[in-house]
Amino acid sequence: MLASVEVLPVDGHPSEPDGFRDFVEARSSALLRSGWLLTGDWPSAEDLVQTALAAAWPRWATLTRQDAPELYVRKIMVNTFLRWRQRRWTGEIATGRLPEHAYADVFAQIDARQALIAALDRLPARQRAVVVLRYFADQTEAQTAAAMGCSVGAVKSHASKALARLRDAPGLAELMTGGVAS
Amino acid sequence: MNTEERQLAEMLHRVTPEPPRRVTVEDVAFRLVGEAGQARGGDREPRLRRGLGSLGRGRGWAPALAAAAVVVVAGASAGIATAMSSRHGHTTSPGDVMTPSSASVSTPATSAAPSQPSTSTEPTWPPEPIASGMWGAELINRQSFTQASLAAGTAGGSLYGSLYAFAPGYLDRINPVTGNVVTQVSYTSPIPGFPNRPVVTGNTVWVLSSYSGSSVVLTGYNGKTLAPAGTVTVPVSGQVSSAPQGVLASGQDGDLYVAAGSAVAVVNPQTHQVIKRITIPGQVNSLAIAPGGEKLAVAIGAFRLIAYELVTDTQISSSSLNSGGPGGNLIATSGGIWGTVGVGMTERVWFAPNANLSNVVMVSQGVGAGLDSVPTFSGGAVWIGGSQRLACADPATGQVLASTAIPTDKGIVEYFGSVTVASGSGRTYALYQNQAAQQFGVATLTPSGACWG
Repeated sequence: MLASVEVLPVDGHPSEPDGFRDFVEARSSALLRSGWLLTGDWPSAEDLVQTALAAAWPRWATLTRQDAPELYVRKIMVNTFLRWRQRRWTGEIATGRLPEHAYADVFAQIDARQALIAALDRLPARQRAVVVLRYFADQTEAQTAAAMGCSVGAVKSHASKALARLRDAPGLAELMTGGVAS
Repeated sequence: MNTEERQLAEMLHRVTPEPPRRVTVEDVAFRLVGEAGQARGGDREPRLRRGLGSLGRGRGWAPALAAAAVVVVAGASAGIATAMSSRHGHTTSPGDVMTPSSASVSTPATSAAPSQPSTSTEPTWPPEPIASGMWGAELINRQSFTQASLAAGTAGGSLYGSLYAFAPGYLDRINPVTGNVVTQVSYTSPIPGFPNRPVVTGNTVWVLSSYSGSSVVLTGYNGKTLAPAGTVTVPVSGQVSSAPQGVLASGQDGDLYVAAGSAVAVVNPQTHQVIKRITIPGQVNSLAIAPGGEKLAVAIGAFRLIAYELVTDTQISSSSLNSGGPGGNLIATSGGIWGTVGVGMTERVWFAPNANLSNVVMVSQGVGAGLDSVPTFSGGAVWIGGSQRLACADPATGQVLASTAIPTDKGIVEYFGSVTVASGSGRTYALYQNQAAQQFGVATLTPSGACWG
């Protein structure tokens, strides 16, 4: 006997929205990478992305009409991340599960990733969110401000302060000038 | 953007890795199910149904369809996921008896000698009730251990009552009365991100000392002194799994079973010989042996559960769950197979009555925050911990017998897992974490009497 899971309507929710699967398949990798930059580990990144997609599911038709599903998903991701940080959830990452395994031929990559996450960990949550949205998700200052619910001026201020902190982070200057290939 | 900003953007794109797996629509659907379930009743545990608690606890995987009605199906409870069945013919996969020469055996000469951190019969610290502790939880040890790594000596052996766990860089033997680490030996898991506990059989504690590519090596330590007792190099069929979660187990006769690529190798712990190999149609992510020792269950891919009759070496069932990820951390009980699927908040413990995933039921929510919820079978009950609830369940029916909420400290979750009942004393132990208070260690528990049936 074989079994598979079939997606059926949820109580109170519509069935799988048109175009939702295509979006998830096309964008989940990019969203997860943003989640990794925000949280520093894959399980939390998955939590973040799934939370955002679950929030988008019942509103999908409206979001696609507004041509803004990804902006909405990123907004939910950032706000969820900021809420987790307020609850100090990042302080409880267990030591038993390592984010990834280091193999001999990728030590340099692992070192680079660890240096990057360590540098991002030095940033306050809102500065970190601005770095991810502006410089990784390639959002404009206005889009970043809309996602974070703040002014464009505040985004500029967060970005400036974040860059100043990252400048002093060990190993990051070398990475920014192209020290390690992916 | 100025030059520095462009450099930062370029570096973020270059250094940020690709994710190990994608999020699927099914993942999101399961998330919605969980939210819907919590919104309806706020219950994170299955509800019990009266009148079904007296089903037998035989050794076979007797049909336990009643369990499906007893333990809430996470998907079906919210109407989002339902099992669809189709018939497939069974194929047999006889085990290949291996000649001793196909395994290499050695006794490690360079292994680090064990050390004895404490020989005192007095506890280093007095037992300390854990704040808001449920089930009378008391901390008897304040060392950080690897999640899901606690194991106990088997009944009838000379290691009666001993506890073992992995600590960073060590395999520790723990005095179950004082909580003191009485002996330790250098040890680092070859697969640090995945739960794999020590396996105690006879007078020896066995661990994985190599598990990568085409290399699987088991190392045994004397259960009392932790002196090296030998190694077994196991031939691998193809490559080992990249998601090995619970790949070493022991059978009732003490033989060791280890996943070795697309095969399960059976090792005689006395002779250190690989005595049998069972070919599996896929890389084995996890395995379990039924309590009677007559059946083997393996999880492959993402994921299929296959059960074998070990006496005749025939496949007796095969079923799959479109979970988007591998199944792992299998345990076998009289009623079927338990295991985990997913990671983080989507990690769930499932129960497949009669080893058939078409009747699978989900018995816990995900724990999140990098914590694991790995089921254990000890003291006649199945234990499911994590950061939300600690539960015991009937191994025959899957029915949750008792559960209690795991408290939070300053809003941050605490963790109880790897529940183990010591043979002989019957005392119940769990690994505990409280990140807010920076408390870690081994806790004793006094579970509800309902857990003992």
